[in-house]
Amino acid sequence: MGAMTLYVKQRSPVHSMDPLTKILYVIVSIAVTYILRELWAIAAMTAVTFLLLVIGKVFRKIIPVLGLSLLLIVSIIVVQGFFNPENETVLFELGFLTFYEEGMRAAALFTLRILNMIGSFGVLILTTKPDDLVESLIKRGFSPRFGYILLSVLQLIPQMSATMGKITDAQRSRGMETDGNLWVRTKAFFPLIVPVVLNSLNETRERAIALEVRGFSSKGKRTFLNVTEDYPYRHVIRGVLLAVLIGAIVWRVWT
Amino acid sequence: MSIIQVQELKYRYPDTERLALDNVSFEIEQGEFIGIVGRNKSGKSTLCYALAGLAPHFFGGGYGGKVVVNGLEIRASEIEEITSDVGLVFENPFSQMTGSKFTVFEEIAFGLENKGIDRTEMVQRIEESLFLLDIEEIKNKNPFSLSGGQMQRVAIASVIAMKPNVLILDEPTSQLDPQGSEDVFRVVENLAKEGITIVMAEHKIEKVAQYSDRVLLLDDGKLVDINTPEHIFSRDDLETHGILAPAATRIAQALDIRDPLTGLYPVTLAGIQRQRGEI
Amino acid sequence: MAKLETRGLHFSYTAEKKVLNGIDLILEGPPTAIVGQNGAGKTTFVKVLKGLLRPSKGSVYFNGEDIKDQTVAQLSRHIGLIFQNPNDQIFKNRVLDEVMFGPSNIGASRDDARDQAMAALERLGLEDEADANPYDLSLSERKLIAVASILAMDPDVLIFDEPTMGQDFEGKDLLKQIIREEHARGKLILCILHDMDFAADVFDRTIVFNQGNVLLDGPTREVFSQKDILESAFLEQPSPTQIARVLGLDGCYLTDAELIAALKN
Repeated sequence: MGAMTLYVKQRSPVHSMDPLTKILYVIVSIAVTYILRELWAIAAMTAVTFLLLVIGKVFRKIIPVLGLSLLLIVSIIVVQGFFNPENETVLFELGFLTFYEEGMRAAALFTLRILNMIGSFGVLILTTKPDDLVESLIKRGFSPRFGYILLSVLQLIPQMSATMGKITDAQRSRGMETDGNLWVRTKAFFPLIVPVVLNSLNETRERAIALEVRGFSSKGKRTFLNVTEDYPYRHVIRGVLLAVLIGAIVWRVWT
Repeated sequence: MSIIQVQELKYRYPDTERLALDNVSFEIEQGEFIGIVGRNKSGKSTLCYALAGLAPHFFGGGYGGKVVVNGLEIRASEIEEITSDVGLVFENPFSQMTGSKFTVFEEIAFGLENKGIDRTEMVQRIEESLFLLDIEEIKNKNPFSLSGGQMQRVAIASVIAMKPNVLILDEPTSQLDPQGSEDVFRVVENLAKEGITIVMAEHKIEKVAQYSDRVLLLDDGKLVDINTPEHIFSRDDLETHGILAPAATRIAQALDIRDPLTGLYPVTLAGIQRQRGEI
Repeated sequence: MAKLETRGLHFSYTAEKKVLNGIDLILEGPPTAIVGQNGAGKTTFVKVLKGLLRPSKGSVYFNGEDIKDQTVAQLSRHIGLIFQNPNDQIFKNRVLDEVMFGPSNIGASRDDARDQAMAALERLGLEDEADANPYDLSLSERKLIAVASILAMDPDVLIFDEPTMGQDFEGKDLLKQIIREEHARGKLILCILHDMDFAADVFDRTIVFNQGNVLLDGPTREVFSQKDILESAFLEQPSPTQIARVLGLDGCYLTDAELIAALKN
C-alpha cells in the first residue's frame, strides 16, 4: 500500500516551488488560454505547462489522464469540424466527410485549452505534497474544513484505485472472469463502480471520525510542524505570472 | 469527584428504533483501567462514542441522560472542547491515518497542529509518544507502508501526544497478532499508571482480566454490572450475556480453586498460582 | 478429497522484500491452522494458493495439476477464500445478492443460486438479514456474510483468513461448528489464525509461519509443545497448556476438558 495521494515524490525545481505560486500558475495559465484567441499564444501557454510537467518529472503520470480526455477531444474535433456554424472554408475532404477550417480552428482551440487545464492541475497536484498545499491555504486564512474537503478530493482517486483492486480480487475469487481480452475486462469494469464509490465513502466517513477526534474542527489558532520553507524567487515568479495575466487582458482589449 | 460520570444514559442512532444504550449509569475514577466486555452489538462501541462525544455530536440521534467527562457535560459541550480531554482510538488503524502526511512523525503532529501546540513542545511530545509506543525506528516511514500492528501503534501515539486525561479504545487490538496485542495492553497499562483514565472495549477476555482494574459488562445496551474482573468473571450467568470466562477462571471453576475470603475464582494465571500457593 | 501442494514457492512484491522464501507443503486431510506473526507471509501464501497472486518462483498444484494455467475465476469453483477484511469482499447492496453472486457466476441457475445462498445464510444464523444492506450491519456480521458467500459456492477447499477476528464467543462457536461440518463433508479446510486457543481447540494440524518460511508443521499438539520455538516466532502456547505449567503439570493440553481431566486424576 503506497501513500494515498497522487503526489509524486521527486526533486525538481517545480517541486520546490511554493504551493501558492503553483495555484497562481493554474489560475493564470487557464485564464490566459480563455482570454486570448490567438492559437499560437494558447499553444505557447500549453507548451509551457507541459514543459513544467517534464521539468517536474511527472509527465508520464499525466498521460493516462490525457488518454481518458482523448475521447472528449476527438468528439470535439468531429463536432466542430462538421457542424461549426461559421464553417465556410473547406480544409480537406475525407471521402464524403468535409472538414472546415473554421471548425478545425475552434476544435484546436478547445483541445489546447483542455490540455492546458489538465496539465496545469497536474503541475499543481503531482508536484505538491497535499498537506503542504492544505497548510499553505490554511495559513492564508482558508478554513481547515475547506482544506479537508480539498484533501478528500485529492485522496479520492488513489483511494478508489486501491479499492478497485481489492474488489476485483473479491469478484474473481468468486468466479467472475476479469482476466482476458478487452471485452471481458470492460464487462467486468461496470459492476465495480457502485461498490468502489460506496466503499470509498464508507472509508471517508471513518476517516472523518478519526480527524474529528484529533481536533480537526478546532477553531483556535493552529501551529505547524514543518517550518515554512523559504521559496526562492517566489515573488519574482508570482510577479511574472501576474504580468502575463495583465498582458493578456490588455492584448485582448487592444486588439 | 469521579472523572467520568454517566447517569441514565440512553442513546439511539438516527433512523433506528432500538436503544443502543439503555439507561446506563456508572462512575469511573481517575487513573482507572476499565475494560468493557459484551457480545457483539451489546453497545460497547456506542458507549465508547458516547464518552468521546461522537454520540451525539457526530452521529446525531436520540439522547437522554447525562455524561460528564473531566468536568465537561458532553451533550452541552462542543466537540473541540471534548477532544482536548478525551482521546479515542478505534479498531481499523487504516482509517485512522489522515492520509495527507508522509511520515509517522508528521502523522502524530496532526492533532497537535490542530490544537495550536507550540512547535518546540510539539516535537518533544511527538518524541515522547514515539518512545512510549516503541516506534522510534519507524518515525520517518510512510504510515501507509506499515503493518496493521505498527499502524495501530501510530494511531495510539497520535492520540497520546495530545495528552488526553481520558483515553477511550474501541477494540484496538482486533487486527493485531498476539505480540502486537500484548504490546498495546502494556502500553495502555503504563498510561493508566501515569494517571490517564483508560476505557477499553475488547474481546480478548484473558487480557481484559489481566489488565483492567474493573470490568464493565454490557448486554443489549444495558449495563449488567461494573466490578472487579474476579467478580464479573465469577458470575454464574456470564455465558447468558455472551461472554466466556477467561481460561484460568474456567479451569478454576472446574477444580473449585477460589479465594477463601471472597469465594471468587481467579481470572489469570498468576491468580491461580496464588490460590494454589495458599491452599 | 482435495489436495493442494506447493513446491519451492517464492513470492515478493518488490525486489528487496521477499515475502515467501521457498514453501514446500502438502495440504490435505485434517483441518489445518496457519499461525504466525503479522507479516510472516500467511495472507500472501493463501492468496498464492488461490491464484490471486502468482508466485515469482515455484508452483502450486491443485489435485496434482499446476494452477498456473487457470484463471482465478476458473479456480473459484474449487478453492474458496474468505478474506480477512469483509469490506474487501462485500460489494452488493443487499445481503442475498452478495451471497448469490458466487454461485451465479459458476453456473448455478437463479433459483439454485438463491436456494444455496439462503441455505448458507441460515447456517450462519443470518437468514433474517437477507434483505438488509451489508453496510448497515456490524463488522462481525459482515465477516459471517463473507463466510456465507463462499459456503454458497460449495468449493472443495475452504480457506479462512482470520475468521475469529472481532467475533464474540458465540460467533467463534458458530465458526467452529461450520469448520467441523465442512470437514465432515470432505472439504479441505485451511485457516489463518491469531487465536492460539481456537487453533488448539479446532484444528488437527498446525503450521507456523515465520518470515516467509515454515518454522513448524505437524499435529497441533506436537507443534504447541515446542514452547521455545513458538516464542522465537512471538507466539504463545494455548491457555490450557500455560495454566497446566503454572499448576505444575508437564505436557501440552489443547482444551479445557483435557486439562481438567488430567488435573482430576
